[in-house]
Amino acid sequence: MIWMIIAGMTLILFFNRYLFLEPRLPIRLNRRVKEFLGFAVPGMLTAICGPIIFVKDHGLDLGPGNPYLLAGLCAIGLMLWSRNVLLSVALSMGLFYLFRWWL
Amino acid sequence: MPTTLPRVAFTRGAIACLPLTLACAPWGLLAGSTAIDAQLTPLQSQGLSVFVFAGAAQLVAIGMIKGGASVISILLTTLLLTSQHLLYAMHLRPLVSPLPVRWRFGLGFLLTDEFFALVSPYDQKTFSRWYALGVGLCMYLGWNLFTLLGVILGKSIPGLDQLGLEFSIAATFIALITPVVRNVPTVICVAVSLLSVVLFSHWQWESAIVLAGLAGMAAGYVCKRLGEYFA
Repeated sequence: MIWMIIAGMTLILFFNRYLFLEPRLPIRLNRRVKEFLGFAVPGMLTAICGPIIFVKDHGLDLGPGNPYLLAGLCAIGLMLWSRNVLLSVALSMGLFYLFRWWL
Repeated sequence: MPTTLPRVAFTRGAIACLPLTLACAPWGLLAGSTAIDAQLTPLQSQGLSVFVFAGAAQLVAIGMIKGGASVISILLTTLLLTSQHLLYAMHLRPLVSPLPVRWRFGLGFLLTDEFFALVSPYDQKTFSRWYALGVGLCMYLGWNLFTLLGVILGKSIPGLDQLGLEFSIAATFIALITPVVRNVPTVICVAVSLLSVVLFSHWQWESAIVLAGLAGMAAGYVCKRLGEYFA
């Protein structure tokens, strides 16, 4: 049963990943579609971050006492200041644990 | 850049991906140890990372297996949860679809959120397949090593899922988004995406992430077109 799930998931993931990389698929991307897709990095990555930061045990935590939110804001600040991914991730992780311990 | 040596481009890709791979370590550990915790055998636990290679989908599937969900519902959730890859592939289509089949299959299999973030800034002139391979393989090896570690440690790390380790993913993505947000349409895109995902996950929609992402992208696009129209 588990192996069936693994096999099924493998096929689904590969389908999602590969479909539009297939050259025989008869689509051509015009300028407008390309412009739209240009928003994929900020749009999709933000959508992935949102639940991690705001959703806690099926409820929303929008308050200023949410360590994920505070450390996330610090990560933005660190990135603007340093332009260094590794440094920003490492320091904001440290701050996250500081906030968690503190609040 | 297309003239650089394969080895150099490959190494450059792997190094570019290293910080993102390290940030995935907690998730890899979690993917391994929660699979063991859900009564999967070590081989099955590792198999998920070897064949499926999709962090969020793996963790959700393991949770569902533990909760006794049906095979169909797990597969349907996987389909919805990972549909952002369709968008990524569409964006990378001009770069990857002209390549020979083994490259398309290889890079296609290695396509992840992080891969997309690092490879999508390139265009047909500056893209190197070896750079992309370096990025993808670095993430793949790292993810599987951390899963293995999680499988080995298994239940000996109690409460691993309560440590808030998932913040490392949020921190990485914030670090990738921040430099991209340089104009009004992108700010609108990020704001709409964030608001929608909070709303949609509050409603417990399974496809919250991809729908919110699409809403943000559409808002950014409309804003850009309006800007051009009134300019």
